[in-house]
Amino acid sequence: MTVLEKTIENPAASELWNPDLWTVDGGVWWMKRGDPSESVREVAKAMNAVGARFITITAYQLPGAEGFKLEYHWDLEGRLLGFAFNIPGNTVESIFDLCEAADWIEREVHEGFGIDFSGREYEPLLLREGDTPGVNLRETTPAKPVPGSAQQEVKK
Amino acid sequence: MSYEIPMGPYHPALEEPYKLDMVCVGETVKDAKLHIGFNFRGIEHLAETRNYIQVVALMERVCGICSFIHTLTLCQAMEDLAGVTPPPRAQYIRVVMGELERLHSHVLWAGIASKLMGFKTMFMTCFELREKVMDVLQAISGNRVNYSMNRIGGVNRDVENPLALVEMVNELEREMARTVIPIFTTSTTARARCAGIGVLTHEKAVSCGVVGPVARASGVTQDLRKQAPYAAYGEMEFEVPVEQAGDVRARLFVRALEIMESCRILRQALTGMPHGEINIGETKLAFRTGTATSRVEAPRGEVMYSVSWKEGSRNPNRVHVRTPTFVNMPSVRWMVQGARLADTPLIQASIDPCYSCTDR
Repeated sequence: MTVLEKTIENPAASELWNPDLWTVDGGVWWMKRGDPSESVREVAKAMNAVGARFITITAYQLPGAEGFKLEYHWDLEGRLLGFAFNIPGNTVESIFDLCEAADWIEREVHEGFGIDFSGREYEPLLLREGDTPGVNLRETTPAKPVPGSAQQEVKK
Repeated sequence: MSYEIPMGPYHPALEEPYKLDMVCVGETVKDAKLHIGFNFRGIEHLAETRNYIQVVALMERVCGICSFIHTLTLCQAMEDLAGVTPPPRAQYIRVVMGELERLHSHVLWAGIASKLMGFKTMFMTCFELREKVMDVLQAISGNRVNYSMNRIGGVNRDVENPLALVEMVNELEREMARTVIPIFTTSTTARARCAGIGVLTHEKAVSCGVVGPVARASGVTQDLRKQAPYAAYGEMEFEVPVEQAGDVRARLFVRALEIMESCRILRQALTGMPHGEINIGETKLAFRTGTATSRVEAPRGEVMYSVSWKEGSRNPNRVHVRTPTFVNMPSVRWMVQGARLADTPLIQASIDPCYSCTDR
């Protein structure tokens, strides 16, 4: 039984925090995925069921044309929960309809990396009307080192 | 018949770039749309071009009011990646600086809120108190805004005579209890301008995922200093003030009570500060490959940093910052619905927004 199934079946179960169901790393309790097709929407529903507070989405661009890694974070009574997965392209399901707090976060990721959250509409947030999403954080050309410093940009 | 009123991008109260397009019927606001990003600086991208010493100085510039909190959160994440633990005295100094910053931020906000209420005498009183806090911050760090106190593995400067600062804390607490809190709680002006204004219900606060005093003023008991203690907060005794009304007055109360609790924490940290080193010394740091996440309770609520590093690299792969205003600000839409147009500057200011953090 995955963490997800356990959470949805019985949100108050004390065995929810069984270490076999989670990997603790870098200050985060990462949810072990039982099934690779387990979608972020199912996780969001489970988090709603236990009363977890949505915090943020952190996006990382994978090397080459491999896509992106997305990390979703929730807080449950001070415990930081995470759900991470890779997407091969630049489209992922939106959780905005399940989680109102994800609105600005999804818009920020969309504008920073050009990732599309399907099933929702956008209005410009940090960008202005007519600006191109993905110019802030998506790497299309290597960033130049700071002029005058000896440091070199490390290739991702 | 409805009409649209644009407010901003020059904020009427806080002199910062932010825009609110409001749909009104008569004097009543029916809906609002928020626009941010007028001062977007691309700091997260810049962080990818900085080494581990430079990135601390850079992230201190995310916010001008809680600059210490940003470097603290970053350093905690990077300490996890480097596998180092700051000495106990450094953890206490971090608590002292964090609480002084909270005092400075809350008193500043109380002053601005007073000005928006048309209560200029109180504005002057609050700014006089804030100046005393700023003097202490300057005495400890040598700086008034960007303190340069944090480093990976501890702090840069010691609090040489912690007990000498206790009197300042006592004086500030006395002044708050003598003037600011009684006036905010009993004054007709404050009550008329704040009670029942800009209500964020408990359900909406949970749904929007708001943090900090905004959440606690809507009955959400949430404070990382208690729920996930960092630095030396696990050794401190304090209460987390929570109000149920969800209006501007409740936000005012929560912050006023938090000032008193901050004084209580400061007294404990200053009197109980252990002797010893303040950092791990000039050790060359090696970071593991991976991502570390750290969260801190800033004056406005939870700040979260995710730092990703590749072993052997000079620069971070990615630094992601989630600031409290970024999650609190969308709730303004719900606060202003049904409010009088004249109340909207105060309602917006009541979340204590930081546009510098939001447009990082």
